[in-house]
Amino acid sequence: MTATHEFHVGQRVAPFVIESVEPDRIKTVAAILQDPTPTHLDPAVTRARGMGENLQTQGALNMTWFVEAAMRFAGGADRLVSFNVRFLDNVFAGERFECTGTVTAIDAGAARAELELMATANGRPVLGGTAVIKT
Amino acid sequence: MSDYGHLAGHRFPGGTYTLPPWLSWLWADACKLEPDWRTAHQGLAYLVALRGAGVSIQDIFDLMDATADSGVVFGEFQVDYHGVLRPGTTYDCEAEVVEVERKSGRRAGVFDKLTFQVKVREEGSDDMTIVCTNSWIFPRAEGE
Repeated sequence: MTATHEFHVGQRVAPFVIESVEPDRIKTVAAILQDPTPTHLDPAVTRARGMGENLQTQGALNMTWFVEAAMRFAGGADRLVSFNVRFLDNVFAGERFECTGTVTAIDAGAARAELELMATANGRPVLGGTAVIKT
Repeated sequence: MSDYGHLAGHRFPGGTYTLPPWLSWLWADACKLEPDWRTAHQGLAYLVALRGAGVSIQDIFDLMDATADSGVVFGEFQVDYHGVLRPGTTYDCEAEVVEVERKSGRRAGVFDKLTFQVKVREEGSDDMTIVCTNSWIFPRAEGE
């Protein structure tokens, strides 16, 4: 029998928190991705667009934190089977990012657990989705 | 109003992509995570898929007649993992547009949702490493 005792339905995914992201990190990510979007580079553009005073983080960066929350809960990179994330809102430099979730299903036969995850920036929902991990 | 539905089935160049160890390390570091020289952060699936597809972000903007300042954002992203991504590994990639849907929303207005999929295998292997399905949102002015 496959052991699934480590996870149970309703179990909370430990929060993964980035207390604040610095603008220089967003610029480094822009360089790595070769992402020309100016709202990742120039706060004057975010201001002109009515998006506030701070740089916008990349979706790939937010998604990496979302994946990190699932991997930490699962117990490592090789425990992650899949994830699906919806981008609900922007995240900006200086904001507090938090991702948490709940175990919603256990498939003992397949040795899999499904997680529902939600991320916020300063309490505002920014990402939602699911992940499947090995039990 | 332009219709980009004809792009369904459009194949990106694809090819091979070697994940540089320095880039893998720098990605984790830039994301305020703990870099690991042996295992890439699995969030790098996005970058591996994009590079492996043989296109840049600007190329995709161009395909959809969008510009860098037109407000393009991610819509949804899914990855199915059959293995982990490793620094220094070369991946064979094939990629195509799945669909382009014209939609509208009260908050977003009119937009096109481009969905493309990238299949990634370690070079020379028949076994899949990851499959990434990615949708981007292209805001459109009325009548565009």
